[in-house]
Amino acid sequence: MPFVLTVDDSRAVRTIVSKQVRDLGFEVAEAEDGVQGLARLGENQFDLVILDVTMPNMDGPTMLAKMRDAGNATPVIMLTSESKRSVVAGAMKSGITDYILKPFKPEELRCKILSVLQGGAGGGDEDVVMASSPGGAPAAGIAAAPTATASPREGGAKQFVDVFLVDDMENVHKRLRSMLPQHLSMNAFASAQSALSAARDRVYRVVIVDTEIPDVSSAVLAQQLKVLQPHAAFVALALRTATDQSKDLKDQGFADVLYKPFTQDHVDDFLVQYFDNQESLTSEDNVLRVAPFVGKPERLERYFGRLSQLFPNVLNKVASACYESVVVDVGAAPPQGERLAKLMITVAGQARDMGMELSVIGTGETQKLLAGFEETKAIRFFSSVQEARSAGI
Amino acid sequence: MGAEKLAGELQQILLKRIASDQLVVPTIPAVQQRVQEVLREGDSGLRRAADVFQQDPFLSARALRASPSKAVAGKKLALSEALNGLGPKGIRAILVDSTSAKMHVSRDAEIAAAIEKTWEHAVAVGTLARDVLALSGQPDSEAAYLAGLMHDVGKVVVASILLEAERQTTELYNRSWIAARDWIEVVQLSHRPIGLALAEKWHIGGEVLACMQADLDYDNTDRTSLVNAVCFANAPAKKVGVYVGPVDADDVDAIVMIGRSLIGVNDDILRTLLKSLKDRVEGLFD
Repeated sequence: MPFVLTVDDSRAVRTIVSKQVRDLGFEVAEAEDGVQGLARLGENQFDLVILDVTMPNMDGPTMLAKMRDAGNATPVIMLTSESKRSVVAGAMKSGITDYILKPFKPEELRCKILSVLQGGAGGGDEDVVMASSPGGAPAAGIAAAPTATASPREGGAKQFVDVFLVDDMENVHKRLRSMLPQHLSMNAFASAQSALSAARDRVYRVVIVDTEIPDVSSAVLAQQLKVLQPHAAFVALALRTATDQSKDLKDQGFADVLYKPFTQDHVDDFLVQYFDNQESLTSEDNVLRVAPFVGKPERLERYFGRLSQLFPNVLNKVASACYESVVVDVGAAPPQGERLAKLMITVAGQARDMGMELSVIGTGETQKLLAGFEETKAIRFFSSVQEARSAGI
Repeated sequence: MGAEKLAGELQQILLKRIASDQLVVPTIPAVQQRVQEVLREGDSGLRRAADVFQQDPFLSARALRASPSKAVAGKKLALSEALNGLGPKGIRAILVDSTSAKMHVSRDAEIAAAIEKTWEHAVAVGTLARDVLALSGQPDSEAAYLAGLMHDVGKVVVASILLEAERQTTELYNRSWIAARDWIEVVQLSHRPIGLALAEKWHIGGEVLACMQADLDYDNTDRTSLVNAVCFANAPAKKVGVYVGPVDADDVDAIVMIGRSLIGVNDDILRTLLKSLKDRVEGLFD
């Protein structure tokens, strides 16, 4: 078990440090000045010394120098109210591993102790002095969290949320929320500061930033959010103007632009790009399943258009897995009109080009529809996946 | 003439000009080009004016001087507020005025590079000071940008007069000019009192003035002060090479180590900021 020595003339500080060290499951010994500290080092082998600077009898820098002169290379964290560069630079020459300014937060102390004793998470290749794991817990508090609805999914240490919106107008939050499907979670923020605070705590898939927040540069805010959300897609929320802003916004680091005032169609387009691929067309082995159509009849065109965009990639994945046949379950797709038949004609051609035979699962009405077209009448038809599997597909 | 003597003489000339309100500082060509683009675009271009001001310490100083908005107790002034105070007319006036004189480009490639690097350093310190505060959950991050941008404004002033002297010496009198190493030393030796005198004369006080002091050190009575943010940001900017002049590596390391704890900078965030810092400023003034 790691053994830690705390050297500080303040009994209160030693008590706090000792408690934190014990809470981490490590052993701790105390010394109230440099003389006692050196004596303890002579009696035991320590894994870490937490050392004050200003102490009676022998101060921290003198004790550190004597330790090093004696060949003792135990890591040292300097814990002090001293923030003079010259003092810290001198201690660094004697090989301190890290530094904590008093008054300190217990989490900062714990982080830095763990970083030293467990070798740290390791980090960057920069040649700038810093501990090797997240060490610097903020000295001042972070403002509290989101202002709007969220249904985050737990995912490891951080919670995952689908959409992150920053817009100073709450009506925009409400409107976007009302246009997103229920299964997508969204957090919305009215100010840059609340957004930055929240972005530290959760992982977001898409970050949408209004370009007209008063006294805030959206480009700067997006850059700062990117530091906290490096894997999110960044979308600008801009007012539609006579001049095309998309190039400028892309130069600022936004992947895409959603224009205000947005309609359900605009939001749907946005969803297709960032969320809907898996929802509209799912696949399991060589069985592809088309999602049901939900919405007003005038949106059918868009529904089938989206499917036509998605099929090539999904077929490609099936072909890549070396399947000789592919089964498409269109039972949930509306068979009225010719749209479904036209889609299946295209899909059959794409499957054939990839060297796969297409079979279809659907209702009697679907079967009747496909039988009416020269290009689809020969497609093998099943009423369920089980039936297709029984037929050896 | 030795660097020390030249620095002393320049200092006297510039201090007199500042005192008599006769200081004229030409605009660096890259910024002047952007100013002209903004002015050509009319009112719509003025919306982008803040970006141009944010790239030039002296333009920002002029905005602060002219703006009726001033820092008040408990609220630190950001550039956007200063520009709001000026209004479109005031902004346009400063921009138009800044196009009247373009900074000479040195024939010495090393000096020309040092000029660009001086501007890059100002933007880097402003950017890092702002981002460090913002990402540590602190307010006043925009005010930190302004303070960081202007912390070495004296260098901009000294550099401009040195360039003018170079132009006269080489073009009018056909004589050789000082070496880049001496040029850098002259700037180092003379800039601090110039920056402070300018700030005082133009009533740019408060924390922005405090950030211009020599040997800036941390103030642990207010952990997230602008002085601390600028003091911290200055160190990594030097460490990654966005700086002109000698760098004391031990001092820089100490500043970073103290700042991480004092301001409360998360190490992961700091790593990310530093990785992108050079990319964000290099070539900005080509």
